[in-house]
Amino acid sequence: MFRRLTRPISASAKREERIFYLFILPWLIGLVVFSAGPVLGMLGLSFTDWRISLDDLQFIGLDNYAKLFADPIFWTSVGNTLYIVVGRVVFGVSFALLLAVLLNQKVPGIAFFRAVYYLPTVTAGVAVALVWIWIFNPRLGILNYSLKQIGITGPPWIFSKDWVKPSLILMSMFSVGPIMIILLAGLQGVPKELYESAAIDGAGNWKKFTNVTLPMLSPVLFFVIIISVVSSFQNFTEIRVMTEGGPGESSNVMIWYLWENAFIFLQLGIAAAVAWIMFVVLMVLTGAQFWVGRRWVYYEADSG
Amino acid sequence: MSAKQLSRRAFLKLAAASSSGAALAGLGPLRNIASAQDTVELTFGRHWEAAFRPRQSEYDEGFMERHPDIKVSITYNTWADHNNVVPAWAAAGTLPDIIYVHGSRATPWAHEGIIIDIHDIVVADEEFNVEGMWEESVRLYRVNGRIHALPYDHGPIILGYNKDMFDAAGMDYPSEDWTMEDMAAAAMELTDPDAGVWGWDGRLDLGNGGGGFFTGAWGGVHMNEDETEMTMDTPEVRAALNHWYKLIHEDNAGASGTESEAFPNSQPFRAGAAAMGHIATWSTPSMRAQANFEWDVAPTPMGADGKRYTGAFGSGYGITPTSDKPDVAWRYLREYLSIEGMIFMWSLSGRGSPARPEGLEVWLNSDPAPPSGHYFLEAMFDYAVTGPPFQSLAAAQVSNVLSTQAELLRLGEASVDEAIAAITEQGQAALDDVADM
Repeated sequence: MFRRLTRPISASAKREERIFYLFILPWLIGLVVFSAGPVLGMLGLSFTDWRISLDDLQFIGLDNYAKLFADPIFWTSVGNTLYIVVGRVVFGVSFALLLAVLLNQKVPGIAFFRAVYYLPTVTAGVAVALVWIWIFNPRLGILNYSLKQIGITGPPWIFSKDWVKPSLILMSMFSVGPIMIILLAGLQGVPKELYESAAIDGAGNWKKFTNVTLPMLSPVLFFVIIISVVSSFQNFTEIRVMTEGGPGESSNVMIWYLWENAFIFLQLGIAAAVAWIMFVVLMVLTGAQFWVGRRWVYYEADSG
Repeated sequence: MSAKQLSRRAFLKLAAASSSGAALAGLGPLRNIASAQDTVELTFGRHWEAAFRPRQSEYDEGFMERHPDIKVSITYNTWADHNNVVPAWAAAGTLPDIIYVHGSRATPWAHEGIIIDIHDIVVADEEFNVEGMWEESVRLYRVNGRIHALPYDHGPIILGYNKDMFDAAGMDYPSEDWTMEDMAAAAMELTDPDAGVWGWDGRLDLGNGGGGFFTGAWGGVHMNEDETEMTMDTPEVRAALNHWYKLIHEDNAGASGTESEAFPNSQPFRAGAAAMGHIATWSTPSMRAQANFEWDVAPTPMGADGKRYTGAFGSGYGITPTSDKPDVAWRYLREYLSIEGMIFMWSLSGRGSPARPEGLEVWLNSDPAPPSGHYFLEAMFDYAVTGPPFQSLAAAQVSNVLSTQAELLRLGEASVDEAIAAITEQGQAALDDVADM
């Protein structure tokens, strides 16, 4: 939190402050015009019967929200979203942490492996999704072929109502490059002396990991969990390219539901309402994470 | 209805432009000098795959040569994105002068003011001869009885078959007296699990074109005439869907949804792994390009009542309200969608199924047309009906429910009863939602 300054501000400090605001002005303008403005505009439009034209908009109060809450497919999309978000965050962050720990080892060729694991991130999302369609192909895909080699009949993956969400979660684990890099940077910032002290106290590798690494990494973990939750809510490419919300409605997530309403059904007022519900849900979830985070995130600066 | 109509003034301008164009037809050099001084740009938003764009360019170059005062500029969208891009253009006020309009989008786009009412100009232009188009095709673009766009392509769905597979099995090709039961029996006979081939393709299409093919023979109808009520929860539709479900999942004579994913576009028939499949005129060019076997078409098999039923569908073009030169847009469309224009663009190229009988007749002699392509023509004349939904503002929602449930049926992830219940409930909710609009 900001503290109120009690001392008078010097002329140079004031000038510096002015320069500071001058430099952030382009960003502030961008934020207001391209982000905050549309977000607020969308809130207003969610109370209208907006379809395409902004002319002759009728104010309809909470009708769009009422329609949404009465639509079972909306609730299906909420359930699917939460399922996929939880799966992506839990498995994705765990896998990224595992990779980061492995790639933090001092072994020959480690830079190569870091590049390999980061590679899916720099590949176009549509291309990755198209490749995964083939990987998941029940008859010709490499996944079921590999399983067959060890005597397992693979499932239909994205072509089954039961398997499509686990498939999407599995696929997301191969795109954990960005959070892996952040965690790796966090790991490299853990002071060596702490490990040395732990070793003197007789701690083994697991104890060092749970009592030194995780607490020291907790601010970074907190950050990657938050961005993972947000990005999981917004994930659209895979659904658009691979499943289109199917089979049935089994991968119909909120962002797909929003897109369908906006661009297929031309119900832009309803789409605006979905966007705002997503916004509120994300704010609440992020706030909840901050609240819970106070109990498990360790900030060195706070320890006195 | 928010769609804009052509004003009387615009119509008179257009009529003058049309007649002066005709008068100048024999004065090529003079016309060029006079018109080149004032060139207008006509913008066009459409989809064509890359391979067909040279044909479009060739047409446009010819058009611009005939009309030096018009410069045609095209923005190509992909087929998958066009229907999503157009509403975004409309919301942003950046619609081109002319847009491609899939038959299922005409009503909602007219309602949203994305395309304008061109009824008066079309019927007033005697040279254009709108009556010469298939009425079933023009029907798609009539909103409240008034024409809002015009078709370029309209075709029926009939039976396609792999001649090589029938020959290998020593079986007769599908004949004109086949019923749906005969077709199913042949499919079972032609299925060979060891060879990885099916008698029937397995695709189940309950949408615009396919609905009639897959349920009509049992007397099934998806919606009432004015598209305000879903009518799928009937013994007829149930019998039809049970027939296909059994063929795929119990007789294993049709590729299931999962099995078909091994083939490009999920189409075992086109890949040579299924002996029969339903086929539309517009898919014949890709059949010709991809099928490495001999194939042909036969009439849609008859129902138990001895009659044939199938669906037909297509696409067209409309003029947008943001166009400041609807008269110029019409000068383009009236030639593009004339008999000669259609023959050049879609008949001789074999690309599609022109919305005029003359065009379809010429198309029958193009390379992509199969040997027995006249069955397409017969279907258009005798029994193909434009398939719903296309008149309701909820057409997109209903189509979505139909395709979702068809997919689940093909995957075996929904029973026939579950699919019918979902279609009825969700489809009716969507229709009720727009009842007052």
